[in-house]
Amino acid sequence: MRSPIRKAMDIFVVFIVAIYLAPIYWISLTSVKPMNEINSKEPVWFFEPTMEHYVEAFERFEFGKALLNSSIIVFSATIITMILALIAAYALARMKLRGADVLSLFILSLRFMPGVVIAMPYYLMFLKVGLIDSHIGMIIVYVGYGLPFAVWIMRGFLIDLPKDIEEAARLDGLGWMSIIRRIVLPLSGPGIAVTAIFTFVFNWNEYLFALYLTQANAVTLPIQIAKMVDAYTVLWGTISASVVMQLVPMIVVVFLLQRHMIRGLALGAVK
Amino acid sequence: MTVSLKNLRKTFADGTDAVKSIDLDIEQGEFITLLGPSGCGKTTTLRLIAGLEEPTSGEIYINGRQVNDVDPGDRDIAMVFQSYALYPHMTALQNMTLNLTVSGLSKEEANKKALETARTLGLEELLDKKPGKLSGGQRQRVALGRAMVRDPVCYLMDEPLSNLDLKLRELMRTELKRIHKKDKVTTVYVTHDQAEALILSDRVTVMKDGEIQQIGDPVEIYGNPANEFVAEFIGSPSINLIKADVVDNGIAIEGNLVSNRNFPTANGGVNLGVRPEDVILSVTESGGLKGKIEFTEPQGGVVHAFVNLDLSEKKLKNRDYLVVSMDVHESIDVGTTVGVKFREERINYFDCGTGRSLAETT
Repeated sequence: MRSPIRKAMDIFVVFIVAIYLAPIYWISLTSVKPMNEINSKEPVWFFEPTMEHYVEAFERFEFGKALLNSSIIVFSATIITMILALIAAYALARMKLRGADVLSLFILSLRFMPGVVIAMPYYLMFLKVGLIDSHIGMIIVYVGYGLPFAVWIMRGFLIDLPKDIEEAARLDGLGWMSIIRRIVLPLSGPGIAVTAIFTFVFNWNEYLFALYLTQANAVTLPIQIAKMVDAYTVLWGTISASVVMQLVPMIVVVFLLQRHMIRGLALGAVK
Repeated sequence: MTVSLKNLRKTFADGTDAVKSIDLDIEQGEFITLLGPSGCGKTTTLRLIAGLEEPTSGEIYINGRQVNDVDPGDRDIAMVFQSYALYPHMTALQNMTLNLTVSGLSKEEANKKALETARTLGLEELLDKKPGKLSGGQRQRVALGRAMVRDPVCYLMDEPLSNLDLKLRELMRTELKRIHKKDKVTTVYVTHDQAEALILSDRVTVMKDGEIQQIGDPVEIYGNPANEFVAEFIGSPSINLIKADVVDNGIAIEGNLVSNRNFPTANGGVNLGVRPEDVILSVTESGGLKGKIEFTEPQGGVVHAFVNLDLSEKKLKNRDYLVVSMDVHESIDVGTTVGVKFREERINYFDCGTGRSLAETT
C-alpha cells in the first residue's frame, strides 16, 4: 500500500512533468494545424492535420541546409570538445600540478563571461582570417566556448575514479595517453555522457554567436528559425514544424547517451 | 641483491616526512615485510620502490640498476594493491595479459602464459569473467595472477589480504607462502598485521615514523626486540613492560629480585619486557612477587589471565594488569592470589630513558 504522502508526491511529479511537456505538446500540435486554425481566437483541439508547414520549412526557408550546417558544426564541435576536455581534465585531476584547483576554477570562470563580450572580438578576428560564415569558424567558436565547462565537469568525474587502477596500468607499462585511452575512457562513460549531452544541447540551441558569425553559408537552425519572423508576419506553423524537427536530433542524442549515464561500471574494480 | 634502498627520503608537498633516511638491502628470493602502524611510511616506501612516488633524495636499485628515473612499467616489478585495482572493464584474462601484450608479446603467447598462471591459482574457470562478477577472494587471486604472469624480479604487495575475511585471509596467506616457496621470487610485503608478518616473512622490517626500528628474522624480532616500540608492536597479547630497579645483586621490583643480570649503564632504572607466555604463576609460592588474578580471557588452547600485582605503586607501562598466557588445562581460577615469576633467560631489558634494548651493553 502506498502512503498518502507518496501518492501526493506522485501527483506532484505528474503535474511538473505536464508543465514541462505542455509546450512541446502544443508546438507539435501547431506544427500540423492548418494556418487559419492556428490564428483562431479560441484554441482548436480537433482539426484535419496538414504537413504544409514542414514542406514550407524545407522549400521556402532552406531548413535542410540549416539542419545539415547545424549537424556538421555541432557534432564536430562536441566531439572535439570532448577529446580535448578529457585530456585536459585528466591532467588537472591526476598530474601533480601546482595550483590545479585554482587553475580549474579559472578555466570555469572563463564561462562566466557573457557571450556577447567575446562575440565582437571573434567577429573582427574572423573577418581578418576569412572564417566568417564558415563551418570551421563556428566549430572553433563552439569548442572554445564549450571547453571550460566541459573540462570542469569532466575533472569532477575523473577525480572520483579509483587512482589505484591507473597506477596498476602504469606498472603494466602503459603511458599517459594509453592510460587515458584504454583505462580512463572506458571507465568514465557516465562523465563523458553527461558532459557530451550538456555540450551538445548548448551548441545545438546556441543563437548569439551564430547570429554574429554566420550569414548564408553556415547558418544554423536557431538563426534560420528566427528568419521565419519578419516585420509583417509570424509564421507560427512553419516555426513550430521547424522546432519539432530541431528537437528530434537532441532527443536522439540524449536517448543514446542516457544508458551510459548510469553509474556502476567502476563497481567491482576495488574492494 | 634484488632491491637496495640507499638513504631514501620522501617529504610530501605538505611537509610531511613520510620516509626519513631508509637503508635496506633485500636479498634475491627473500620474502621481506615492512611492518608498522598506519602512517609509519611502509606504504610510501613500497610506492617509492614501485616508482609511483618520486624520492626526495636517496637511491633505489633494482637488480643492481639505479631506477630513480625509470618509469614504473620499466622497473621489472609487479605490484598487488590493497584494493586489487583490477581493470573493471576487462575480463580476468585481459587483466592478466595487458602487461604482456603492452611489452610486445603476441596475444596467443600472452593468453598461453596467463592460462598457465591461472592453472596454478585455480582461476581457469574465471578467465572470461569481469571483476564485478568475482568474489573478493577470486579478485584477490586475479590480482595475484596479474603480478605472477609477468615473471618480475620482485613482487611488491601492499596489504593484499586486508580486504578478505579471516578464513579467506588465512587461506590466501598459506597460498602466498606456497607460491613463494615454489617460485622464490623476491617479495616486499607491506602489512600492519604483525601475525601475518611473522608467519610469512624471511625477514621483518619494523617501521615507525618513517624510520626503520629493527630488521631481523621473525624469531629474532619477537625474542630480541631492539626497543620498547618493537617489543610492544610484535606479539599478541603484547609484551608486559614493567619498571624495575637496578640493585647490587641484580634487578628487583620493589625489593623482589627477578633477575641476576646487572646493568651499570642504566642509570634511570630498567624496564623489563616479559612476554605473557614467559610469566610463571604458582599458587604455592610463599615469598617474592605476588598478585591476584582479576579476570581471564579464554582463547581456546590458551587462557589469558589478567593479574593485579601486589605493589605499592603502578609499575606496569601502558596497562593496569600483568597479562599471562596459561595452558587451558593448567589454568588457575579467577580471584586466586598467585606467586609471579619470570623466565629469566627470556626477559628483555630496556633503558628506561631511551627505550632501547640493553642486551648489547652486557
